[in-house]
Amino acid sequence: MASEKLLSEQAVKQTLPSQNSLAKAATIPSELILQIFKYVTSTADLKSCILVCKSWCRCGVELLWHKPVFTGHGSLIKLIFTLSRNTQTFPYALLIRRLNFSFLGESVSDEILKRLSSCERLERLTLGGCRRLTDNGLLKLLDKADGLVALDVSDIENLTDAVVELVGERCRRLQGLNVSLCKKISDKGILAVASRCRSLRRIKLSSCENITDESVVILAKNCPHLLELDLTNCHQITNEAIQPVFENCTQLRELRLACCTNLTDESFTETMPTLYEQLRVLDLTSCALVTDQTLLKIAHSAPKLRNLVLAKCGNITDEGVYHITRLGKHLHYLHLGHCSRITDHSITHLARHCTRLRYLDLACCTQLTDASVFELSHLPKLRRIGLVKCALITDQAIYALIENRVVQHTLERVHLSYCVNLTVPAVLELVNSCFRLTHLSLTGVPAFLRPEIQQFCRQAPKEFTPHQRQVFCVFSGKGVKDLKQYLNNTVIAQQRNRITSGVGNTNDQVVGPAAAVGADIEESVVSEAEGAGGDISEGGEGENENGHNQNDNRNRNRVPDRNPEGEDGDVGNALLDLF
Amino acid sequence: MASESSESKKVTLKSCDDVEFKVEIPVASRSILLKNMIEDVGETDQSIPLPNVNEKVLKKVLEWCQHHVNDPQPTNDDDDSRRRNTEIDDWDQRFLNVEQDMLFEIILAANYLDIKPLLDIGCKTVANMIKGKSPEEIRNTFNIVNDFTPEEEEQIRKENEWAEDR
Repeated sequence: MASEKLLSEQAVKQTLPSQNSLAKAATIPSELILQIFKYVTSTADLKSCILVCKSWCRCGVELLWHKPVFTGHGSLIKLIFTLSRNTQTFPYALLIRRLNFSFLGESVSDEILKRLSSCERLERLTLGGCRRLTDNGLLKLLDKADGLVALDVSDIENLTDAVVELVGERCRRLQGLNVSLCKKISDKGILAVASRCRSLRRIKLSSCENITDESVVILAKNCPHLLELDLTNCHQITNEAIQPVFENCTQLRELRLACCTNLTDESFTETMPTLYEQLRVLDLTSCALVTDQTLLKIAHSAPKLRNLVLAKCGNITDEGVYHITRLGKHLHYLHLGHCSRITDHSITHLARHCTRLRYLDLACCTQLTDASVFELSHLPKLRRIGLVKCALITDQAIYALIENRVVQHTLERVHLSYCVNLTVPAVLELVNSCFRLTHLSLTGVPAFLRPEIQQFCRQAPKEFTPHQRQVFCVFSGKGVKDLKQYLNNTVIAQQRNRITSGVGNTNDQVVGPAAAVGADIEESVVSEAEGAGGDISEGGEGENENGHNQNDNRNRNRVPDRNPEGEDGDVGNALLDLF
Repeated sequence: MASESSESKKVTLKSCDDVEFKVEIPVASRSILLKNMIEDVGETDQSIPLPNVNEKVLKKVLEWCQHHVNDPQPTNDDDDSRRRNTEIDDWDQRFLNVEQDMLFEIILAANYLDIKPLLDIGCKTVANMIKGKSPEEIRNTFNIVNDFTPEEEEQIRKENEWAEDR
């Protein structure tokens, strides 16, 4: 291939002089060169382009400097060095429109920002997580940044109202502001921005704990174009703040109110317009006072709601979930974690109406049983399912998930921690069937708490106690593949041993319910299997069926005619013995 | 669907070297320039002259239009997503496996005739030829003369040193 390419290039070169004095490439207009350069995505390649000839240089230099991409701290220093040169081929500082230092984190200093203050045409500045920065550097850099459209200074703890006030003063065109985790910011700063930056569209105030209703009221009244408002962890916010938001910001798409614990139904039932059509994302995590009444209102007013987070809204009952199902196919993402009052009834209804759900979290909904999972296994777009601490779930739920051959094409993340009844064969089958699976959590599931399995799991977070580490069992990325390979290999090895040692005769293997996790759990599995078993053994191809056959084996003494092909049966037995 | 309903209707295009092509309207309409012209003029027996495109290139461009006749019309919305993606599908790759001069002629014609998807893959193909090459290698590939003085070249190299290889 390479030599072919070389040849054709040579051929072109050879034919050119005789044909035409100029190559076509040198004659094409600069607008088209620019068009080509837009596909030259690597900074290094673009740099090569500008060194080719003068016309390529003029075309490429603006693109190269428009949004400089740094390979690291060193290359940032080199760029600053260029800006400090007395003679520059181009007015480089004025070509810079976007800067993103968030991946450089703490290596970004005030000194660096000061050296960039000649970048007067900056439009987007992203400094999230550059925690060493202070007001000093930012005040200098922003002083001439009249054209700034978006500013992200999230997680810069030292930042004070002075910076936000300067932004209000200078950056009248500001559309996006992220001051999340800037805990010193108060109403004073936000008022300055809210009263002058009328085109503001997105503002994130997450964990700005000083913020009160005053900021939100002024924002709502002055910035009618708001599309996104994030008040996560602004504990002082009350119902008073929410009313003007609904009244004035008719375009709002995202509203995040997690941990605004003062909010009650009143915020919604009294003040939300009858039609608040643009809303797509609503986060009410830990707004523990809201009830089903809020959900009734939301489902009517915001019929196109896509993401709804109700985690830890403990008052929500089945009735509330019934209201949500009104959203139908619009609902893609639903979090009901810790809504422990909901039951199989409403989840069944949900699964039948909200058929485009992609993400569903039901963690700690402790009343849910396999019946809920049976219904959810029909969701054709389900990518992520969270069933942590749904302790009534059994292997039958796992088999059901795969049996329909629907979610196995879509499932990417499955959370089963503390579903204590689960066994290895069922989970192995899940892993074998769901080829997109990249995350599987099984923390606290007794059958998996063994060194030979846990060796493939992710490292426990540092802050975990020894006990938490012991039960930690989360597989992601390569870990899922490794787990799958290990379990399958072990099964095969076990099989071989049996055959060579003459123990395994593939036709007369009968294994009773034994050896697995514990007698009591085993019993429940068996009785469940009796009910659902009939459908399970269909299909039966290759290694994917291990778990199914396992299931069959357990019941074979009762239903002997449902005997799968011998070898597969042996695979199941091998697993039983192992775990 | 559109191609079937107006299958019989054709339009005549005339290249700059006076060669005429009878083309089904949906095929010609891959070009926004021609689509608008045809819509403005209505049905006509007169040929449409294309003073910027010669026979060889027009034939090639029409081959592309024929193959992509049923593609959805591009919208402005996918501008960005197309830009990020430098992949080219197999047929298009084979289609653009031509002499370099022809490649640039196709790009120029696609630009003139306003056929965005063809312009895009043409530009992508050239961009892919640039990938990983030094300035000198790029000049050789495209037969471009270096018109910098050594001093100019050295200064620009230094000023842009930050954009280093990864």
